Amino acid sequence: MSRYARRAIVIGVVVLLAVLPLVVQDRFLLKVFTFVGLNALVVVGIALLFGYAGQVSLGHAGFVGLGAYTSAFLAVRVEVPWLVCVAAGALVAALGGLVLAIPSLRLKGHYLAMATLGFGELMTLAFREAEPVTGGVNGFSGIPFPAIGEFVIKTPQQLYWLVWFSVAAAVLLAANITASRPGRAMRALHGSELGAQASGVDIVGVKVRAFVLSAAFAGLSGALYASIVGFISPSLFTTAASVTFLAMAVIGGSTSLAGPLLAVALLTLLGYLDALLPGLSGTTGELIQRFQADIYGLAIIAVVLFAPTGLAGLWRTRRGT
Amino acid sequence: MTLLSVREITRRFGGLVAVDAVSFDVHQGTIKALIGPNGAGKSTLFNSLTGFDRPDSGSVEFDGRPVIGRSPRDVVRSGLARTFQNTQLFDSMSALENVMVGAQAHQGEGFLPAALRMPHAAAEDRDASAEASRLLRLIGIDEWGHTLAGDLPAGIRRLVEIARALATSPRLLLLDEPAAGLNPTETTELVQTLFRVRDAGVTILVVEHDMGLVMEVSDEIVVLDRGAKIAEGPPRMIQKDPAVVAAYLGEEDVDD
Repeated sequence: MSRYARRAIVIGVVVLLAVLPLVVQDRFLLKVFTFVGLNALVVVGIALLFGYAGQVSLGHAGFVGLGAYTSAFLAVRVEVPWLVCVAAGALVAALGGLVLAIPSLRLKGHYLAMATLGFGELMTLAFREAEPVTGGVNGFSGIPFPAIGEFVIKTPQQLYWLVWFSVAAAVLLAANITASRPGRAMRALHGSELGAQASGVDIVGVKVRAFVLSAAFAGLSGALYASIVGFISPSLFTTAASVTFLAMAVIGGSTSLAGPLLAVALLTLLGYLDALLPGLSGTTGELIQRFQADIYGLAIIAVVLFAPTGLAGLWRTRRGT
Repeated sequence: MTLLSVREITRRFGGLVAVDAVSFDVHQGTIKALIGPNGAGKSTLFNSLTGFDRPDSGSVEFDGRPVIGRSPRDVVRSGLARTFQNTQLFDSMSALENVMVGAQAHQGEGFLPAALRMPHAAAEDRDASAEASRLLRLIGIDEWGHTLAGDLPAGIRRLVEIARALATSPRLLLLDEPAAGLNPTETTELVQTLFRVRDAGVTILVVEHDMGLVMEVSDEIVVLDRGAKIAEGPPRMIQKDPAVVAAYLGEEDVDD
């Protein structure tokens, strides 16, 4: 595909996403599209960490939770300005990423998956048990809307734009990274760790940075979620959520940002199919929701069996490149 | 001038002595070969020289500085690059991109300059690309630049790995069986390539089984057998050395 065609597609998608709230007036639908954006923030990070650097994480919901609880605590208990809360949420999640990066320096494949799974479970446990800080199983409520100075961001349209502006910024940073030296370093690490070392790639630095950056994106997503919805509880940040994020990255395909982003949109919207398609019967919608985990599972199996390179790979094959 | 000096390197794996007190020097501007039957300890020695493995005892000095105990990245950055017996290319990247990775040895590490597209990061990328193209031409494989490494024929893969090692700007290049899997024509071309690399100012230490190639390119040869050095000298001398002949033909006793 020529660079111009690619640029045209990117601009088209950006414009479409930007004007969507002007066309769609339904508050619920706008909320759904906002959730797509929040998931996209997490999955862009996982696309870097897993799709490019080849490092598995089954604990990313833990980072989303760290960002959410940090920003909620600061906003409600300490009453810090919103921007500071969000920045702190991303920062604390990034520190969590730094901690989780340490096992990644010694563990590979399944063992790393187990370690990150353990991290995610530990975080869920902490959110549930640290009641004085997190509110325990009852959750944390009364989190104020995002506000910049006196300006409170609270209409569905404004919140949508806030989230998708963050997604655009994250994707831009990620695209710049993948198109240059660090992107090659991550792919090299994925391709052959020995070869990367022999080429002078700082493999420790690359792994740590990939973990920290993807954790920061997840933390940002969590912090935004907390202030948009106003309520968070431990059940949001479970291993099931981590698996869903990883599933989106796998289905989207490795060494691609567009594939995982498309997968995020498809899989997130799947859960709200009855709202999107008014003609769809209520029972069909319920069925889809009830079997959502199964559908994800089947989709992953289908991808692994028939299209191991994911959506991005299917596209590349069709293009014959 | 001595570029690399290996002193009394010993490496044991359990009861097996893989490398047994091996010492030799590599002089600047020369091609030195390391030969020996399978299991003689050549690859283990290579790993010890490049930070991939730590010997139990002995010392290695490269350009007057100690090598043992440093990470592979540190070793590469000091000017000592290597290739692998089983090529370690990045299969989902093009040949050109593979070689560009080699340039990272001397580039920055952070993600931020790249993420923000800072001018010096962009310049770094352009330099790496230009250097990689130049090296592919030097090695004579520039027509393969845009092919994915995973799709390359075995012979070309070895050459891409050499180009990638050269992209780290080494002063000494360690090649682990560069002719393995090559046909006679490719081997002849490899000989010319090695001379071009040496003439470009890079000293070479090569492990190789192809005796024709070894005798043709090397200025000096070190022979290992069962972990120990049994001979060292110019090709003509090595060919006549009774201990070497015995090691290769498997004779029990050697008498003149």
